[in-house]
Amino acid sequence: MIDRKNSYPKFAVVGHPNKGKSSIVSALAHDDSVQIGNTPGTTQVKRGFPLKVDGKIIYELFDTPGFQRARRILAWLEEHKPTSANKRADTIREFIYNFRDDERFRDEIELLEPIMNGAGIIYVVDASKPYGAEYEIEMEILRWTGQPSMAILNLIGDEDYREDWSRALGQYFRLVRTFNPLKAKFKNHIELLESIAQLKEDWTEQIKNAIEILKKFHNQKIDRTVEIIKDTTIKSLSYVYRHKIKSKTATKEEYRLASKHYRGELVKYERKLERDISEIWKHKNIERVDIPPLIDDVGLFSKESESIFGLSQKELILTGASAGAISGAGIDLAFSGGTFFLGTVIGSIVGGVSAMVGFDNLYNIKLLGKKIGKRELIVGPMKSANFPYVLLGRALYYASTLANRSHAIRDSLKLDDREFFIEKIIDNNMRKKLEKVHSKLREQKEPKEELLEEYREVILESFKKLI
Amino acid sequence: MHSKNSTVSIKSYLDLSQLLSEYRGSHEDNRAFALKHKKLEKAPTKLLLKWLDKNYFRIDGELNSKKYLDYLLSISSLLGLIFFILGFIVGLGLLSYDGKLPVNVIYYLFIAMFIPLFSMSLSAISIFSSDRVSHLIALLFPLHWIEKVLNYLPFRKKLKGFKVNLSFKLSKLLFIERLQLFSLIFSIGLLLSLLIMVIATDIAFGWSTTLQVSPEAFHRVIKYISIFWDKIIPSAIPSLDLVEMSHYFRLGEKLDISMVHNADKLGAWWKFLAMTTLIYAITFRFLFWIFTKEYLKKQLEESILSLKGVDKILREFKTPYISTQAPQKEKHLEIVEAKKEVVIKKREAKYQTILGWNFSKDEILLANDAKGIDGAENIWAVGGSNSFNKDLEIVKNSSGVVLLYVKSWEPPTMDFIDILEMLIENSKVTRVEIYPLGTIGRYYKNEQEHIDIWRRKIESVDSQKVWIVNHDR
Repeated sequence: MIDRKNSYPKFAVVGHPNKGKSSIVSALAHDDSVQIGNTPGTTQVKRGFPLKVDGKIIYELFDTPGFQRARRILAWLEEHKPTSANKRADTIREFIYNFRDDERFRDEIELLEPIMNGAGIIYVVDASKPYGAEYEIEMEILRWTGQPSMAILNLIGDEDYREDWSRALGQYFRLVRTFNPLKAKFKNHIELLESIAQLKEDWTEQIKNAIEILKKFHNQKIDRTVEIIKDTTIKSLSYVYRHKIKSKTATKEEYRLASKHYRGELVKYERKLERDISEIWKHKNIERVDIPPLIDDVGLFSKESESIFGLSQKELILTGASAGAISGAGIDLAFSGGTFFLGTVIGSIVGGVSAMVGFDNLYNIKLLGKKIGKRELIVGPMKSANFPYVLLGRALYYASTLANRSHAIRDSLKLDDREFFIEKIIDNNMRKKLEKVHSKLREQKEPKEELLEEYREVILESFKKLI
Repeated sequence: MHSKNSTVSIKSYLDLSQLLSEYRGSHEDNRAFALKHKKLEKAPTKLLLKWLDKNYFRIDGELNSKKYLDYLLSISSLLGLIFFILGFIVGLGLLSYDGKLPVNVIYYLFIAMFIPLFSMSLSAISIFSSDRVSHLIALLFPLHWIEKVLNYLPFRKKLKGFKVNLSFKLSKLLFIERLQLFSLIFSIGLLLSLLIMVIATDIAFGWSTTLQVSPEAFHRVIKYISIFWDKIIPSAIPSLDLVEMSHYFRLGEKLDISMVHNADKLGAWWKFLAMTTLIYAITFRFLFWIFTKEYLKKQLEESILSLKGVDKILREFKTPYISTQAPQKEKHLEIVEAKKEVVIKKREAKYQTILGWNFSKDEILLANDAKGIDGAENIWAVGGSNSFNKDLEIVKNSSGVVLLYVKSWEPPTMDFIDILEMLIENSKVTRVEIYPLGTIGRYYKNEQEHIDIWRRKIESVDSQKVWIVNHDR
């Protein structure tokens, strides 16, 4: 019976200790905070993982402790066996009521409680190990609950005893499916949910709705990932670092410092991208990432520049010429045009030439104790034609690794982008589209909206190929 | 306490920008906020301002907007005063009449009409042109240079510690808007000086140009200029007679004799000049100022949506919050390593009792054969489909050194531990050796990972009688 107050489907993932229940819950709930251990009893109390949309629960999964004293429970149940099968669930309730405070049956009560509150049963076994008759005791207890149930064959090891298991499980469960939480991708997750939807007619619509929500959720994650990759790539490619220098040309030390800062900033952008992507794909507890540092061997582009009042020499010449022209025009006006606008022409030439010739002198002029000129070493934007692809490749590689990584995996993430070739996923046509934006950024021009949209589409297409 | 933001302003723009640099909220919170203000679903800017109001308290320290607006007020007050004085002085200069030559109205028209129209046109071009062109146009305005220089004054110190996060377009519009205001103040100064000069002195106005312009043609120009007030104040339009009368040539500083005779009438130009200033330099400028203010507001509304972080918040407002995770954190299991080493490499040569946990008797015999263990007096299957009472009976009948086969891949359950503890309590049993076996497919070879699981559990039993055999043959 479904609790009418909370009429959403619930599923309790149950089984023998250490058969991957928590891994399955972790993978299905996209939660890498679930404690998964190879020590029996890692899960000590049941824990609910609701799928919520704006606070409304669509379904809830329960991770439960494994059976510990199944034999003794079944013995008690048999002792109190009712005359008709439809009363068996009541006997289980009676057991829970009688032994709620008994430490010996704490784990069983934790796992039976959600089932007796209406949760469907997802019984997990390790099908890489041989079938054993001792499992029948657990299955029998679950049968007594009368709740809809299915079994999941989890392949933890290398061997495969699925056939034996299926034969036995088929006698107790309506459905038997294989699901490997460590290798499961989104597609497998959805397939499993589709199977779960068949467990009970009342749940079918709700689970189908949940599938749609999860698909939407997955697409949102993809869109956000692509958006972040696009934004970070554009930000990195157009990044320019200006380092103040003392003389007309930069010293080696100044160049070193500027380059270090420039590289550092790009690395920061990449780290931020990784953090954002980890958050999107809900991999918050990944231990460490071994990825070679960015742009170690990519040459940087730099140049020296001078400015006065923030104007480059070119701009200052133009300004000088304009100011000269205005002054000349004043003279022309004073002579009521009798000068045939020579004042304007001469003024603009004088202004322009003065700015050109006097630029160095102006640089040293102090206004209220501050130099009005500024000399800088400009590093960036990155001119290397290949760099954008390195950047994109690394981002796509990282994002796809996380997107494909099951939340049940607890090993540290090991990445080596040297094995990743973006060329494999980007064809010539795509490259042309990407290059349109890259070339604009190299020229420090802002790409148009349509170009950026096209750019996003290419990244999206590439990312979808990888996941 | 801050005032509520109902429309986008420089203040709300800067406040939001500052807040976003410190806090952007979680998807859950942002979505909940949007659901609470469902009426504003289609008004993202208003929703954003509401969100700003709600989260004001999160802004750490002094508001950047306050610093910036204080700075803007200080610098604008100073510039306003400068421009007013400048306008007044320019007016005095233009209208200074030395009694020899009349004041040339063309000069005055140049300042009061031509320059304002020119500067408004430039401003309009600047508003609608690209950033590069706007930048060049800005260089032509004295205000740009005055502000550059003023940046070196102590006012600037007010902005210490933060960068004004205004886009080029917004900075440009703010500059243009202020330019209109200062020009308006300048023109008011100019008009005031005209009125004072008219009241305080007698000015003879005239017009003079090198170009071959007849009084009729000049009068036509004057009529065009006066088009905005010819119906309302016709007296402010000089008559053709007056235009003819006031035409002069600078020849040896001598004026036309008729001009001298009609000197008292030449002052009549002032109404025309005052109206020109009022309409072109003040009214037009005022209207243009209002336009730039409104345009700035519109741009602020657009720009606020492109502030860094706004896209995230707006997306979160719109996107249902989907969560699949557990609301509470899990209490982590603490594994306490015991000091006693329970794993032995060498097993006993002979056993009095051989038990198989979850093994059938046949399986035990098979394992004995594979491991070269001679048959014991008692060989029993425990666990599995046995009842608990049956196992109790087996435990009671066990004696001596007991070999207990277990499936290495099946971790010890409490059911197993119960039986083990009873074996330990049985005084006839001197020693229990637990032998974890791998699968038959692996020729009983176990895995270290499984041995470790068994070791940890058996260590927790803390008995001198129990050992784990890790012996591969």
